[in-house]
Amino acid sequence: MSGVGGRSIRPDAAAKVQGKQPYVGDIHPPGMLHAAILASDQAPARILRLDVAAARQVEGVLAVVTAADLGDKNRIGIIFDDQPLLVETEIRMVGERLALVVAETPAACQAGLEAVALETEPLPGVYDAEHALDADAPQVHPDGNLIRTFSVDRGDLSSALDTAEVVIEETYRIGGQEHAYLEPQGCLAVPAPTGGMWLYSSTQCPFYVRSAVAKVLDLPLAEVRVLQTPTGGGFGGKEDYPNEIAACAALLAQRTRRPVRLLLPRELDFQASTKRHSMTVHHKLYADSSGCILGVDAEVIVDAGAYVGMSTVVSERANTSLVGPYAVDNVRIRTQVVRTNNLFGGPFRGFGAPQVTVVHECQMDRLARQVGLPPLQVRRLNALTPDRPLWSTGETIAQTERLGAVLDALADSEVMTDSEVMTDSEVMTDSGVTADVHGPAASPAASLVEDDERYRQGTGISVFIYGANLHHGGQPLDRGGALVQVQADGSVSVAIGVTEMGQGALTAARAIAATALGADEERIRITEVDTDMVADSGPTVASRATLVGGRAICDAADQLQARLLPLAAELLDAPDPDALVVVEGGFESPDTKRRVAFEEVAALLHARRENPAAVGWYRSKPRDYDAETGQGQAYMFYSFGAHATRVRVDTWTGKLEVLSITAIHDVGRVIHATAIEGQVEGGAVQAMGWACMENLSLQEGKLMNPSFADYLIPTAVDAPTVNMVFLEDPEPLGPFGARGIGEPSFIPGAAAIANAVAAALGRPVTTIPLIPERILNMLGKE
Amino acid sequence: MSAPAIKIRITVNGTVHVTDASPTMRLLDFLRNELGLTGAKEGCGGGECGACTVLVDGAPICSCLMVLGSAAERQVTTVEGLGDGAGGLDPVQQAFVEEGAVQCGYCTPGLVMSARALVDSDKELTDEVVRTALAGNICRCTGYKKVVDAVRKVGAAAPDAQATSDHSKEQP
Ligand code: FES
Ligand code: FES
Repeated sequence: MSGVGGRSIRPDAAAKVQGKQPYVGDIHPPGMLHAAILASDQAPARILRLDVAAARQVEGVLAVVTAADLGDKNRIGIIFDDQPLLVETEIRMVGERLALVVAETPAACQAGLEAVALETEPLPGVYDAEHALDADAPQVHPDGNLIRTFSVDRGDLSSALDTAEVVIEETYRIGGQEHAYLEPQGCLAVPAPTGGMWLYSSTQCPFYVRSAVAKVLDLPLAEVRVLQTPTGGGFGGKEDYPNEIAACAALLAQRTRRPVRLLLPRELDFQASTKRHSMTVHHKLYADSSGCILGVDAEVIVDAGAYVGMSTVVSERANTSLVGPYAVDNVRIRTQVVRTNNLFGGPFRGFGAPQVTVVHECQMDRLARQVGLPPLQVRRLNALTPDRPLWSTGETIAQTERLGAVLDALADSEVMTDSEVMTDSEVMTDSGVTADVHGPAASPAASLVEDDERYRQGTGISVFIYGANLHHGGQPLDRGGALVQVQADGSVSVAIGVTEMGQGALTAARAIAATALGADEERIRITEVDTDMVADSGPTVASRATLVGGRAICDAADQLQARLLPLAAELLDAPDPDALVVVEGGFESPDTKRRVAFEEVAALLHARRENPAAVGWYRSKPRDYDAETGQGQAYMFYSFGAHATRVRVDTWTGKLEVLSITAIHDVGRVIHATAIEGQVEGGAVQAMGWACMENLSLQEGKLMNPSFADYLIPTAVDAPTVNMVFLEDPEPLGPFGARGIGEPSFIPGAAAIANAVAAALGRPVTTIPLIPERILNMLGKE
Repeated sequence: MSAPAIKIRITVNGTVHVTDASPTMRLLDFLRNELGLTGAKEGCGGGECGACTVLVDGAPICSCLMVLGSAAERQVTTVEGLGDGAGGLDPVQQAFVEEGAVQCGYCTPGLVMSARALVDSDKELTDEVVRTALAGNICRCTGYKKVVDAVRKVGAAAPDAQATSDHSKEQP
């Protein structure tokens, strides 16, 4: 089968296996110059002297640029105007740009960097987000360290407090994460012959790059053209940060009137680009003795680093997602976004939701233990259902029977059949709390498969809700386009405004175009974004590529069908064009079952000189939401899902091994089977890395392990088996019923591992990542 | 600083190149910048990611770590050297395509080369053997499952190819 639901070969696969796909580092136009960044290795500090005169004299160096050369065109912040492209006087984060060098060769660039004379004076820094708001904390910016507070206020928490029989209070410290896209950040800026600027950019958000470059170069948007290069992974790390790289390359290209390529060395990419935010969550869960949640009271501190970047939007999602897929009447959440001199917090697959999912799911397991219920049952008891559909935003969540289906699938999963037993064990009680043991009789240690004294196994589950589209706060960006052209030979050209970064956006879009048009999937040509081809389609984030690209293509296809169907009817001698059925590769008359090939109809379309192109457009419907109280319709629709994960812990070395993951996702409709499996397998393994091994080791804001030798990410040897269950209850708002899967694939991963480790060791988990020293710490073996 | 240029003879994808170049130039830079073979990618420059993997005398190495001088007088195979020379894919490449082992693709040329070397060895391609052989190639996108499936598929499909390479090993 081809088209929607099929397994066609992805359009870029052959070029990629042959090494023919031109990433930005592979493109080398004549006369191209090389650029490099002089980055700070300490923060905060004040620049006393930044002398680039000698650097400008280095042979092969064409220009050296500092803030002094940029005047008022030195701003790069995307939401807040707090970030300079080049440091003016105060350095606020390690890795911040002090100067740019452009030269004939990389070696001359390097010599130029070394010739810059820099003197700085260290300043007192803020390295602990939990103390960033203390009265005596140094101020990262003059306007203070509190960027913004997000809230959820629902019901009356004092009533929960009065009636609660169980209170579970804990502080969770959730670490950040490096995206580790395999292709480092890079951009090639080419001055356009007619005066504008063309950017070849490795990015998820070409329209962001266009705006940033237009601003820095003071050019009209129409003079800036961004051609997205094949992008070697994004995961959120190429959402806003590529703006900075592109702006640097563009400035240097403008000055030299020559093409300039800037590739970030891996070490600087590690230090300077955005990271998943580390968060501290103080969480109080109020429940009755039967396990029903009465209230949630939580304080979240998000470490934004020195500049806002996208931290507010990420935090807004964390704030909204904190209660999880449960019906809780009384909620008070305060999410404070604070500035520090640590790493630059930013978007990363899940956008703040994975951190809070660890928290709500660990709390659910604690509740289960405390009231003596199996973890799955305590989730069923509190889950959103059609009878109880009000979420912590106060909105009614549609189709909550999908969550029930996820929980049923969880119960059926192989891993779970064992783990239901474990949950009744006394081993699992929190320290200092004695659990009532209900449920089927089980031996106290049934939760554990003890290989021997040394190894312990455990199973954990996690369940989530995710708005797989932009939050209400991002709604001004929520639109997108597609340009579809039917060629005379029946081949089809499709341009979309959402990006391929490896995840399979083009594969999904092509399948949708094939099915919507009745065209031959193999003959549909679709490539990376060119901002001159499609109107601003917002960012490719929030798992929205399939939704936005797909809906825009469907809209274009509808317009084209209005021209194609009458011609097909003519060719088929069918009386009613609207009664024709679009089938694989053409059109069918329902009465005669006769078919006409898409090629034939396309040829006739051209012969009649009808318009063979259509611009499709998608925009979400306006909705109501109050950002002050966090009440209203936060997202357009929601996905549910769950993981059940089995782990093995070596109690001697603290090594944590993930044995298997069962991933259950409520995807609406599988658009492309191979692509969706790839997303779920990849997302689960990336989450495993975060939970188990990926530790950003910081010393006064400086990353001490900025390499793959020291910052470990999963290899083929570490990656567990991922069993997948896809539940297909169509989404009315999605193209062919689909919901995005990019981020949902990641969200439950770490939470299930945390619960599995807690089960294996009989001790609560309160932190991520669970690196060996932390496991030994939990075991009292520091 | 790089050492002064000397005359270096190196065979890349079957073609002999005699070139005046610094022996301390990285093999990766020679391939990409001098020969225009950009299939091998730079992901880290420190021998940690495997994106730059090429074969030197049949063995996978990180071309970001090897200097040109060490590759002199040896046979280098890059991803461009696989396949039938007329655009047809090598069985390893074909399996990657069919199994969906490619996402962003930046790791792919390196993985393909490591896999090619493994398939050419006489090892039985169990899950464990494949995973161990690919442990030096980081992929951040796929979770490795489809990559491992692809490599094992080649092993299963090509008993003859394996027998041939075993045979050639016995006759040095
Ligand atoms: S670039 Fe050579 S190992 Fe990473
Ligand atoms: S496919 Fe992206 S790193 Fe492997």
